[in-house]
Amino acid sequence: MREIIDARGLACPQPVLLARKALEAHERVVVMVDNAAAVENVRRLGAKMGCEIVVEDKGGGIVHLHLTRDAAAPAEAAPGEPAVCAPAGGGTYVVALPENRMGRGNAELGDVLMKAFVHTLTQLDPLPGKVICYNAGIFLALDDSPVLEDLRQLKDAGVEILVCGTCLNFFGVADRLAVGSVSNMYEIAGSMTEARVVSP
Amino acid sequence: MSADVETWWVVLFDSVHHAVQAEKFLKEEGVPHKIVPVPRHISSDCGVCIRFAAAERERVEDVLGRRGTYREIRPL
Repeated sequence: MREIIDARGLACPQPVLLARKALEAHERVVVMVDNAAAVENVRRLGAKMGCEIVVEDKGGGIVHLHLTRDAAAPAEAAPGEPAVCAPAGGGTYVVALPENRMGRGNAELGDVLMKAFVHTLTQLDPLPGKVICYNAGIFLALDDSPVLEDLRQLKDAGVEILVCGTCLNFFGVADRLAVGSVSNMYEIAGSMTEARVVSP
Repeated sequence: MSADVETWWVVLFDSVHHAVQAEKFLKEEGVPHKIVPVPRHISSDCGVCIRFAAAERERVEDVLGRRGTYREIRPL
């Protein structure tokens, strides 16, 4: 019996968590995914669990990973080990968020675009090494941010979230910081000179 | 699919304006949702849609049925 897992539309670590659970109960599992990060991470999980792995490109960005576990191999990955969402080759670029909206022109549209942008960041492969928020960009890291969950997910996946302390102070909102660490210009400028900077 | 992982649905729109409007209505009526880019397996448009948990389907249909304009509600 093949167990089929539909992980399309899911961001890391969900495809990996689903695949691991399925592999613990079944020897043959097919995982359907739709992004490169998920392919890499599920493949890595399969390798770690001693599976034979066949990757089938279904076109349109959809990939099916056929995982067959060696019946003799233990059915569990190293217990307690967190799902791997490795920023494959991580740290090759950092994302700078100097504003709380994406682009100039229409504010409402800028809000929508920023939400879509940060959501998409969680699905990129490789993930950014860091996300740096400064000036009005710090509002994205506050307790009422529309992208708070996505930034938390990035952080859980190993992405460092740096938030400009001067800016938190200027806007008087330091007590509302909900994700990331308070940073300073040395660290921010240093991070930006060490990697390629991507800014929406 | 295991029970502890969300099954997602999406609302597709004919225009970004409708998506923005729908988001406002869902927010006003307290229905959890998220604006995301339209997934690649649904369309190659550079568009946005609203994703929600399967459990919220009735509420989403109710709110948008009364107040919104959308093209389609479907599983992700």
